[in-house]
Amino acid sequence: MWGGSAILPSPVALRCPAQRGYEGPVEAALITRESRTPMTGYVIQRCLQAVVVMFAMSVIVFVGVYAVGNPMDVLIPLDAPQDVRAFIIERFGLDRPLWEQYLIFLGNVAQGDFGRSFVYATPVLDLILSRLPATLELTLAAVLGATLIGVPLGIWAGYRPDAISSKSIMAVSILGFSVPTFWVGLILILTFAVYLGWLPAGGRGPTVEVAGVAWSFLTPEGLTHLLLPAVNLALFKLAMMIRLARAGTREIMLTDTIKFARAAGLSEATIVRHHVLKLIAVPIVTVFGLELGSTLAFAVVTETIFSWPGLGKLIIDSITSLDRPVMVAYLILVAVLFVTINLVIDLTYAALDPRIARGHAA
Amino acid sequence: MKLGKLLQAGALAVALGLPVMGLAATGATAQTLTVGVRGGPESMDPHYSALGVHADAMKHVFDTLVWSGDNLQIEPGLAESWKPLDSTTWEFKLRKGVKFHDGSDFTAEDVKFSIERIPVVTGPTTLLIYVRRVKEVVIVDPHTVHMKTDGPAATLPNDFVRLFIVSAKAAKDFSTKETAADGFNSGKATIGTGPYKFVSWEPKGDLVLERYDGYWRGKGPWAKVVRKEMANDSSRLAALKAGQVDLVNYVSSADWQALKRDAKIDTFLADSVYVMNLQLDQREQTPKVYDLDGKPLAKNPLRDPKVREALDLAIDRETMVEVVLEGLGTPNNQLMPKDFFGWSPKVPARKADPKKAKALLAEAGYPNGFKMDLHCTNDRLPGDGAICQGLGQMFAQAGIQTNVNAISRTVYFPAQAKKEYSVFMNGWGTLTGEASYTLAAMAHSNSPELKLGSFNRIEYANPKVDVLLQAAGKELDDPKRKALYQEAMELIMADRAYISIVTLQTVWAAAKGKLKMAPRTDEDTLAFFITPAK
Repeated sequence: MWGGSAILPSPVALRCPAQRGYEGPVEAALITRESRTPMTGYVIQRCLQAVVVMFAMSVIVFVGVYAVGNPMDVLIPLDAPQDVRAFIIERFGLDRPLWEQYLIFLGNVAQGDFGRSFVYATPVLDLILSRLPATLELTLAAVLGATLIGVPLGIWAGYRPDAISSKSIMAVSILGFSVPTFWVGLILILTFAVYLGWLPAGGRGPTVEVAGVAWSFLTPEGLTHLLLPAVNLALFKLAMMIRLARAGTREIMLTDTIKFARAAGLSEATIVRHHVLKLIAVPIVTVFGLELGSTLAFAVVTETIFSWPGLGKLIIDSITSLDRPVMVAYLILVAVLFVTINLVIDLTYAALDPRIARGHAA
Repeated sequence: MKLGKLLQAGALAVALGLPVMGLAATGATAQTLTVGVRGGPESMDPHYSALGVHADAMKHVFDTLVWSGDNLQIEPGLAESWKPLDSTTWEFKLRKGVKFHDGSDFTAEDVKFSIERIPVVTGPTTLLIYVRRVKEVVIVDPHTVHMKTDGPAATLPNDFVRLFIVSAKAAKDFSTKETAADGFNSGKATIGTGPYKFVSWEPKGDLVLERYDGYWRGKGPWAKVVRKEMANDSSRLAALKAGQVDLVNYVSSADWQALKRDAKIDTFLADSVYVMNLQLDQREQTPKVYDLDGKPLAKNPLRDPKVREALDLAIDRETMVEVVLEGLGTPNNQLMPKDFFGWSPKVPARKADPKKAKALLAEAGYPNGFKMDLHCTNDRLPGDGAICQGLGQMFAQAGIQTNVNAISRTVYFPAQAKKEYSVFMNGWGTLTGEASYTLAAMAHSNSPELKLGSFNRIEYANPKVDVLLQAAGKELDDPKRKALYQEAMELIMADRAYISIVTLQTVWAAAKGKLKMAPRTDEDTLAFFITPAK
């Protein structure tokens, strides 16, 4: 649906030719769509969409796991005699046809029960929620850090493209893009944990309970545990933020807006803060949101290398043991997460760029 | 898995990389033992899972009725002695004066409760396999129980090395499918008689334990034990080198080579219970063996004893150990490690002879060989994928074009259970240390009525072997039973439908001078038996 509306001309862009330069087709599409659908209707539409995605996800995972193989062939001990095998398969309902298993699953979900993990015996939702804080703090530290450092660096690199400092920044960003995460992770461990001995090699530090949730970033030792994995995870995102901010800044700097602002005698600092930053904010918010989502759901490599007890490790372990209840619930929740993040991003546009809000009124 | 390969490469980088500077700053005091383990428990309910890493953790908090020694020999545990009364009754005399962590007495009631609880709370990796022979538990007095079995059960004491005893009082309200995990994971029901008391645990995270001073074997050497789950091999080793943990298990063969030269690290090596076995489909028609044009063969060549012998002769076990496993294994010619109960000294050692292999293939009517797919796991046991690649090359040298498929166990076992493979290899661990466990499952023809041959996925059937195994299963006299299993083993290995290759070895690594341990064959890392060096 994004691609379909992308070919329509953006009314905002037409009204405001000076801004054409930095508006990609994606953003133009968003503005077009938003201007046609009333906000409440739009939110309802998104929620319905989320339900459809959740259904599709559950079917895909059910069929997918079935295609890989019967989880019981992986989980039941190899030496189990025939009667024990039969007993266990029946007990977990895997002797029933797939459609029946799926309907039972749907019935339970309707009552808020996603089932119990084959491996851990605990309700799947509890299992996922218990590991969410660890991933949440790691992800937020990485994505926020990358954005707060990357955007100023990128603006500087775009503002003074020929300075040596800018060129160094861009060189670093290429490294961040091209060096694989697992390798950087191991080198970080090797350097800071094994060789220098400054930081722990892995695991999550002591936690403090705040509002019933255990957080490790609130203790000094927890912070030392958080640092390396967060840096590892942030590196790629940092590079991306730098490139995004730089590209946006370079384009804006050449536009009439900046020329007029300079002619009006505004200071350079004011121009950067009030014009450049605001105008490049929309794509950055988009990427921020999507990165937050994908990192929350799939920080697998970093979590594995740093033995971080988060969601990424849970899902990879669940896949290797064909723990179907966890896989199904997890991927459904990830779908919900992405739908929500996209919605929040769209709503943020309106707040960031008044022109979009005016588009609604029109 | 690509990721796994990359991580393995990284492990080398860590192991061979920079010299280790700071091992002095151990993250723990002398009274604490911090262990980095590859896998942790799946729940704190000892009856939920039969997985080795699960039992390893559980043995800290709970005792088993019969104890399994360093080399899997059975020893008194919570039961002091046992004897068969008649063909279907075993009498167990329980240890007196044993107290649970909450101060209550251990009695026959707890044994009965534990056995009856298992079928109710077990997970898919079921502990039921160790108590399935018990039909009824009769309490004679507080320290005597009679186990009524569903037939003569010669190896019942061996099965009970995994029978964990929970407190009937503490676990009473936490013994349904819904309540068990909650009660045990929270610590409410996690009351055992073992050397350590439960403090806290989170799935895939840390298991924290505190010494139980009233332990019947005596006071443990460490006041506190922390088992940190670190699944990635290189991360676990890095944590040891950084001084974050004192001891790690499952060091890979590549890392082991580097650690042997590292002056800051002690390594401990033991034979494991795992033997790598090649399995050859014995059905009339087999799906993954082809002629040289890639078309299915009219008859299954694997049914020809000459072809099976040729495959056996193609395997160079010494090279497999020295090159592929970097020394971490021993050549083997039987389905169990050497000297296990039922291992036979009469099975001749296997020598590689590719020339003779080719000649045998020609005699069997395949002068130019044939094509086949070889399937193996690559993520289950150390070195499984590499051994598979090695086998492929050795078979190719003997003239059999082999297409190697080293795949994840999540794909391998379901397909193997559906009998989609022709030639395949996976490890088998003889966890109880005696032959009935292995031979009854693998070598007897598949018979649901007799509950035998459940892991015989190649339809191997030798009537003589079946007779011997059935007789051995009922024979309560140890020497007689041993002779029966040895005879069966000799026949099975001569048939070569199962071709054993190597016994794997396991390596632990610890900070130099920190501790002493006797490595266990079952790969457990039991804090109670690990002592500070000083």
